[in-house]
Amino acid sequence: MNQQPIARFSKRCPSAFVLTALVSMVLSAAGFAPAVFAQSTPHWMGHGRYQSSIASRDSGAMMRLVRPLSEMVEQSVVQVYSGGDVVALGTVVSEDGYILTKRSELSGGEPVSVRLPNGQKVDARVAARRKSNDLALLKLHGGDEANWNIKPATFSTVDPPTGSFLVSPGRDGFTIGIGVLGVPARYVAHQGRLGVNFYDAPSGPAMVRRVHPESGADNAGLQDGDRILKINGRQLLGSQSAITTLGKMYPGDVVRLTIKRGENTLELDALMCDQALLMESENDAKVNGPRNVRLSGFDSVIQHDTVLAPNQCGGPLLDSQGNIIGINIARAGRVVSYALPSSLVTAEMIGMLEEARRPSE
Amino acid sequence: MFAIVPALAFADDATTGDRDVPAIRENSFVQDPSAVQGPSGGDSNGRGATDSAGTRVSLPIDLEPIHRRGGVPQSLEILRLMEKQQRRVAERASKCTVSVKIGPAQGCGVIVSDTGFIITAAHVAMRPKLKAIVTLSDGRQVAATTLGMNREVDAGLIRIDPGQNGGEPWPHASLGTSDNLVPGMWCIAMGHPGGYDPSRGAVIRVGRMLEVRPDVIRTDCALIGGDSGGPLFNFAGELIAVHSRIGNDVADNLHVPIDHYDYSWDRMALGEAWGFLPNFKPTLGVSGNRSTKVAEIIAVKPGMAAEAGGMLAGDIVIKFGTKPITDFQSLVDAVADTMPGERVSVLVQRGNATVRLVIEIGRSG
Repeated sequence: MNQQPIARFSKRCPSAFVLTALVSMVLSAAGFAPAVFAQSTPHWMGHGRYQSSIASRDSGAMMRLVRPLSEMVEQSVVQVYSGGDVVALGTVVSEDGYILTKRSELSGGEPVSVRLPNGQKVDARVAARRKSNDLALLKLHGGDEANWNIKPATFSTVDPPTGSFLVSPGRDGFTIGIGVLGVPARYVAHQGRLGVNFYDAPSGPAMVRRVHPESGADNAGLQDGDRILKINGRQLLGSQSAITTLGKMYPGDVVRLTIKRGENTLELDALMCDQALLMESENDAKVNGPRNVRLSGFDSVIQHDTVLAPNQCGGPLLDSQGNIIGINIARAGRVVSYALPSSLVTAEMIGMLEEARRPSE
Repeated sequence: MFAIVPALAFADDATTGDRDVPAIRENSFVQDPSAVQGPSGGDSNGRGATDSAGTRVSLPIDLEPIHRRGGVPQSLEILRLMEKQQRRVAERASKCTVSVKIGPAQGCGVIVSDTGFIITAAHVAMRPKLKAIVTLSDGRQVAATTLGMNREVDAGLIRIDPGQNGGEPWPHASLGTSDNLVPGMWCIAMGHPGGYDPSRGAVIRVGRMLEVRPDVIRTDCALIGGDSGGPLFNFAGELIAVHSRIGNDVADNLHVPIDHYDYSWDRMALGEAWGFLPNFKPTLGVSGNRSTKVAEIIAVKPGMAAEAGGMLAGDIVIKFGTKPITDFQSLVDAVADTMPGERVSVLVQRGNATVRLVIEIGRSG
């Protein structure tokens, strides 16, 4: 693996153009082995940016065109706050104030609140979670229930084909953007990574050979030579078992590591990320733009090219008739946004509502 | 030096860009014969004039203005017509969009003739006479050989080695022209973002042209590594450009206008490679004497590729990649055939020893 050339170029020219061929990470030292390379931004590019808004797919006029579709679901879209920041959108699923949103954006125990379609801000609590598809069910509990003025979303069984236009509404009838369905619903795997290499060990603790810079392991303070005794309290049986255990973790998960450094035993909490992100070059990271931490590991997702901000997931996704065909669940890259299809959302929602409404013992 | 004002008169703005309004046609099927231009060279009859096997699809009359001039559809009904059209184009386009693998590098290409000519980006084809593995839409892999490349605009040509389709014609794209493109026009991009994925296939993206220049067009069809060399179609299913490069902004996606393949076809088909993109000249950073019989390095320029790779003044270069080097001019020629960012194995004579260096090619104006 050699990422050096890319990093060097990108440091030299911060807004570089990148030729869009993909180079596999295994470079043979001998012979020809090209790397992604860059070109400084041409002068006219800066000029072009200013006029792009009129002609672009997401121009104001385009957003006005599809506004009636967004308005059809206006009363079902909310903004979700965690610790004072907007972290996601939410989709209303019941009259009595249950809302589906993106689970992983509700960071550790911060109070959750919701901005309703009418602008009112109401407290909420997390009533159920589904880690496998990164859904959380919120329950509103504040303000004047009669004035919430919300309406549960109607999930459609329509399955639009590849090439269909899709609309992502925000709160209050606003449209975030339009896009096109690129890949029909499919399973998207995940490969959890801490950002370390291990020395081979058939049994016992896994010894860290190298910590990748700026990885979850690095940020948690893990060092070369540390021995990992336990992951989430479970004893390790060699380096392969460490890799397998970590591989099953979803990106965005926090793992508790029990490590031995010299004579000391330490506990560290580290954030998992997906292998693809760990492998990518600095330039790739740049062109991908802001993404969600949890961007892989879904039972079934529709892939589309709508440009979403990471905090614009959790809201409904519409087809060109205004049918709700799914819920946006991740901004995963420059060309990829993922949505859970309505069939999956409905199944998860029924289970979560049941769990949330079950009388506690 | 880049001009600030676009050189073409029709590239003024999104709404008044039309310069050739065709008369409204009575039938609902429009196949403009003037838009049919094929590669002028080669031994093929792949000019796309008869297109039962191509990507061209009939255009509903109501989409005619959107197709010609772009702009915002007047109603949601028109938007729904557009999506029907892009579904049809996507279905045909995916059949002729291929993955191109040369060594460790992966890009895309599009078959443009029933005899198996593939157009791609110059930086995907890299150099003439390289062996390429082409993966078709059904997952089948065939062998191909790179022909020529016009690196001035990043246009490249590959051909599927003959005799691999049982005498059957290859599915191919219908060629359009980039002569009548205007900002605001809608376009359909195909490609393999992130490389070929058999469980996924080619991925469609739809966007609009933001800027049209003679050598490059910019769209908001989002591209990423792996898409290079893939096709850009108009709403009639005609090939109008090939993906080339991207900037950091999601709306900075650059494509090579299709007419350049027509202009450069003869030279590319003969296996010629020439030029470089502005700011993209492959550079080693050494000076030598062109009149001597050996490629002796007189000076290594500080901060450039050769120095970083450990080359020293006095080294005599004897091999560059796979090419034997006989004098300084042959070294210059060998460097011109690489791309910035490539890592090249270089053999040098240093005193009595032979030393192997790995140099990552730099770039200059």
